[in-house]
Amino acid sequence: MKLPLLCVAALLLSGALSCAAQTDAAFEGRRVRLLDVAAAETEVNMMTILAKLHTGRDLPRAYAMLDSMTHDRAMGGMFYAYTLIGTYLHTRGQLPDSLHRKIREAFQKRTMYRGDTENHWVMYYTGMYLAAQTWPNEPGGQWFNGKSSDENFAEASEWLTHWMRMTTTIGQGEFDSPTYMTVFICPMLVLHEFALDSVMRIRAGMMVDLLLADFAAEHLNGNYGGGHSRDYPDDITNPLAAPSTMFAWLYFGQPAMEQWNEARYRPRHRGSWETVFAALSSYRLPDVILNIATDRSRPYVHRERKRVRNIIRFEKPMNPPVYKYTYMTSRYVLGSLQGGILQPIQQHTWDVTYSSPRPHNTVFSLHPFASGRELAMFFPEEQKFLAGEVDRYHLVYTNPGKWNSSSPFETVFQHRNALMVVYDIAEGTRHPHADGFFPKTLDERTVDPSGWIFARNEDVYIGVYPLSPYSWIEEELCWRWRSTTLRTGWVVEIGSIDDAGSFDAFRQSLRNRIPDTTGFTRSGSVRFVGAKADTMALDFAGRRTLNGQPVSFADYPLFDGPWLQARVGEGRIRLTDGKRERILDFK
Amino acid sequence: MWISKALLLLLLAGAGLWELASAQETLYMSVLSSRRHAWGRNDNPVIGLFVSTDSGKNWQHTGWREYIRMFYTEAGPDDVLWSACGNGVLRSTDHGTSWRVTTGWEVTEVLKLSVDPRNPKRVAAATAYGPILTTDGGGTWNFLLEDLPERYSTDVCVDRTDGTLLLATGTGVYRRAPGDTGWMPTTLLGKDIRVLTQHPAVPNTFWAGTEDDGVWKSTDRGKTWSMSNSGLQHRTVYVIAIDPERPDTLYVGTFAGGVYRSTDGGVTWQQKAAGLSVQDIHALCVLTSAPGTVFAGTLNGGLYKSTDAGETWVFNSQEDAQVWGMSIQRRPRK
Repeated sequence: MKLPLLCVAALLLSGALSCAAQTDAAFEGRRVRLLDVAAAETEVNMMTILAKLHTGRDLPRAYAMLDSMTHDRAMGGMFYAYTLIGTYLHTRGQLPDSLHRKIREAFQKRTMYRGDTENHWVMYYTGMYLAAQTWPNEPGGQWFNGKSSDENFAEASEWLTHWMRMTTTIGQGEFDSPTYMTVFICPMLVLHEFALDSVMRIRAGMMVDLLLADFAAEHLNGNYGGGHSRDYPDDITNPLAAPSTMFAWLYFGQPAMEQWNEARYRPRHRGSWETVFAALSSYRLPDVILNIATDRSRPYVHRERKRVRNIIRFEKPMNPPVYKYTYMTSRYVLGSLQGGILQPIQQHTWDVTYSSPRPHNTVFSLHPFASGRELAMFFPEEQKFLAGEVDRYHLVYTNPGKWNSSSPFETVFQHRNALMVVYDIAEGTRHPHADGFFPKTLDERTVDPSGWIFARNEDVYIGVYPLSPYSWIEEELCWRWRSTTLRTGWVVEIGSIDDAGSFDAFRQSLRNRIPDTTGFTRSGSVRFVGAKADTMALDFAGRRTLNGQPVSFADYPLFDGPWLQARVGEGRIRLTDGKRERILDFK
Repeated sequence: MWISKALLLLLLAGAGLWELASAQETLYMSVLSSRRHAWGRNDNPVIGLFVSTDSGKNWQHTGWREYIRMFYTEAGPDDVLWSACGNGVLRSTDHGTSWRVTTGWEVTEVLKLSVDPRNPKRVAAATAYGPILTTDGGGTWNFLLEDLPERYSTDVCVDRTDGTLLLATGTGVYRRAPGDTGWMPTTLLGKDIRVLTQHPAVPNTFWAGTEDDGVWKSTDRGKTWSMSNSGLQHRTVYVIAIDPERPDTLYVGTFAGGVYRSTDGGVTWQQKAAGLSVQDIHALCVLTSAPGTVFAGTLNGGLYKSTDAGETWVFNSQEDAQVWGMSIQRRPRK
């Protein structure tokens, strides 16, 4: 697909004028360092192979590893498709003839699963696009799916364009995932590097800009704060262990620590090493995005509209909106989604994450929901069978103590540094309790006679007002707050030395502002007056008011805040750091 | 007590049913996954399409070996093979040696398909995003969404008498006759339909299996339906199979209840689960070449075989596997 010439010119102009290429020597140092470390890894995966081949380290072993990967069936088809062609395109000038042949044959003999998630399809179609481009004019018999090079290229091109349009008009489905962001950014980096079609190449580069800017606005010293569509418990409870940290380190220079050198953050995911694709890419982060990621001189509110992953049954809309709200300061980030089932299995609805030299730097709550019906909303298989099946791959889905979950019984309302979350758990629900995560790395955690729970991590203060009786369960990493009351919730306020003064002053202020819960057990009604005298109210029906005025999501923007701005449906995103501007125009 | 094969063949010959009993039967089994499968392992069990031409004694894998979420496969009268998969609708014109994905990116998570026996280039498929139809052998596909309350569909059945389509959805059964521009509701609405089957010997009769609401029967080609659940204790029904030689003998595969059998045309049902280690049944196949022989595909327990019309079951193959679909192709013996 070709964009009109004028549009292409506009894309180039808008990008080039504001694209002060990052020539940061520090970035170059990190890039080289990453490749060097990845090249020394002994684990056989495409990333370590690629790093070895690029650096020339241990070449015989690298060739042998790549040879084994050409017939390896351990990696899912879509993961394989883009990493194999990406590795090939980066290294083909140095590969022996036998590997050229075997890699080509892999796209004929391996039968690659396209998958059923957004990231699967991005990887699959990126792989097929580049493979079809690399081996053009070949008949269907030369491809595992029986389609010719032309057919594969056209199909991949069409879907990738469709995906970019969806993402830039109604939002991403698997949005803001500290783990899965890898498998969106890296395919786009590979596409940006090797697509011969200039429009696709530019669009892929703009998608990298967008995905990194999206991360940057909610980034705090290596942490990806707030609500996430999907994440794993280990990364939710220890944010700097997520693959997103490696991207933050490489592109933003934060955190200063190298993830692989810290046992407590050591990459467990192959996804972390996929930053090798970033290190090898000619893509350079625009300064405007670097500033978005690192300028925390003033607190700000950042809002985003995303979409729910495709809902396929029960007569529901396919992609309802997700409303995301994030409050960022130099010391902490408090962020949330509106609650409800917005993603199956791995949703992380809200948290406060604070910058800390210690791990497990986050506090949050959830209702651990699990049901076949929830899964059947998103997967086509039999609903009575699904929950057990998902447990095979996501081992915690039915675990009552899991730390990731969506819940139809959860409703959230956030205004700046205050948040209300209420749970109206139906009788007979599989896990009839709500949990909260308070890490043991906190400096303090006390229960005040006023009802507030006060916690402190260095100069960040956390106040949690539980809306029902609860108990504490001591675990290895945390104190688990648990309420077995079906109607429960929290009122949360976060402060720091910057805005609240001392911890004593913070506590005293909250003691004077006890939430009004007189209507809670009846309707879930809660009222709370924030530190700046704003009055928030919420109930189980999802009615939110601020200073008596209803809060509406009707005009929620695709992006809104000091850094990113875009309207829903527009396909045009403005990035700015106050001095520079970058327009990502996908129209 | 089941009569011996030789005696039965004699009886069948006398009854004019020799053609059926002497048919050459090819069985197709679609294995989606195995409990032994795990991402990141090179020694995963082979999954996908398995074919047997000897009444299930031996199964031969053919076609794609890797996980592509294969739900169901059947052969048309022209011997073309069609598979309903996560990757789309696959077609093979060389008995499974090579395959082509006939659909594009718009079609995914295809759960079931049905080849029109009168015109094998006409194939309908049920997908998570709605029913699709090709009339040119998979060259092009079109979504048929008009008048459906939701897109999700689980099964589709081509009425072999005139090509009318019957569609199983989460909200009921819908009909679409050739030439219609939309789907017509039937009397079976408000139920989550999992499976549809046309009677092999009585073409006006259709059966439907539901989520939680048991078995339903239509004797007017799917227009009106009535419940037929006496004795059926497990009401989630994933598959229905009818014995072509005994038109009143039916088998249904249930969730958690194993197999049920009816010998009176669905008026009453008896549970037949002895020997099944897994009670979630998603595929059934009744042989005519070996009377009393029935196969039951389980979810996570592999394939089971009964040679006494379901009285007892013995593990056959596909250890710990999910057998999502079975079909049978009958051809006169040469």
